[in-house]
Amino acid sequence: MNAERQQAREEDALLRELDTLLADPAHAADPLRAPLAELLALYRQQHERIERLVRISDGYHGMSRLHSDSLADKFDRQVRRLEKLARISDMYQSNLRELTEALREASFKDPLTELGNRRYLMERLREEYERSRRKELPLCVAILDVDHFKRINDAHGHDVGDEALRRVADALRHAIRQYDTVGRWGGEEFLILFPETRIDEALHTAERVRTAIGAIHIESPDGGTTFPLSASLGITERQPDEAVLLAVTRADNALLAAKRAGRDRSVVL
Amino acid sequence: MTTSFNIPPSQSTPAISADWDAGVLAISGDSYPENSFDFFTATIEWIESFLAASGNRALRLDLSLVYMNTSSVKAMMDIFDLLEEAHAKGRAVSVDWYYDPRNERVEILAEEFREDCSFPFNITARN
Repeated sequence: MNAERQQAREEDALLRELDTLLADPAHAADPLRAPLAELLALYRQQHERIERLVRISDGYHGMSRLHSDSLADKFDRQVRRLEKLARISDMYQSNLRELTEALREASFKDPLTELGNRRYLMERLREEYERSRRKELPLCVAILDVDHFKRINDAHGHDVGDEALRRVADALRHAIRQYDTVGRWGGEEFLILFPETRIDEALHTAERVRTAIGAIHIESPDGGTTFPLSASLGITERQPDEAVLLAVTRADNALLAAKRAGRDRSVVL
Repeated sequence: MTTSFNIPPSQSTPAISADWDAGVLAISGDSYPENSFDFFTATIEWIESFLAASGNRALRLDLSLVYMNTSSVKAMMDIFDLLEEAHAKGRAVSVDWYYDPRNERVEILAEEFREDCSFPFNITARN
């Protein structure tokens, strides 16, 4: 840099000296004067041209740097946008997943009693039936029907009917064994599955359920008075190589027999 | 397009109504069309025309969006970019995003959208 500046200073001094010599009238007649003046003018013109070239070239360089800066900015902005898009999209997706899970759970549940519904029971029936056949284990099925339920609904209204069903569901939940399955089969009917259980043991549990339901007293809405509940049950044990629905039909027939025999009892078929 | 238009809702697309005179664009429902870029083209063009039109009139977006697929999210981000650009030039633009108070997740999502937006962006519970 210093060498450059030194050189520029020397160049300036030379040019000044040349200007002074050319302007001196003493050299007016010198034959070298005219070609030297021309040469000096040419030099200045070339010098100007080079300066301009450098300026233009620097300008282009600066412009392209500006351009690549703005490209980098744009790129960063696009990356941020994509990240935002992915974040929001992921949130929607996980919301959907949770909703699907909740719907799946709801689709197996009876909202009134919060027991499994018929769809749930059908699935459990198939599973337990398969398991009992594969492992050659006993399996019992019971269907329970709340006695005179229509009469309760008609006499006291649907709210009281609903309350009766909820109380029956509670009694069922508490009276069955831990590994038994209970659900709302439909209307005032409930189905109980007794895995790895012989008929005498299933009947024992069924009777405990029936006793628990018999202990329920529902308050009538007019206040003061209460009325008891009772239930009829039909129970059966799986026979070798029969379809699961045959066992359910037999339990249904047993229930019908219990109803015909005067209700509030368990019948085995 | 310097007119109003109405797109009725379908199973996979939201209802869209654009009111040129009132300066209101309303979008409501679920949005998961097969091709969101095609579906939102008319809406984006309408917003561009409205913002380009003389008169410097205010534009308000009335949104009640529930579920959106990824390309719909992209379309909404593009729309908010248009508003942000207009806002930077001094145009009055605003967004009212309504959500069902039983679905607070939509509120959180709307807040995500609002990030980076410097124009008025209200998120309000509405039954």
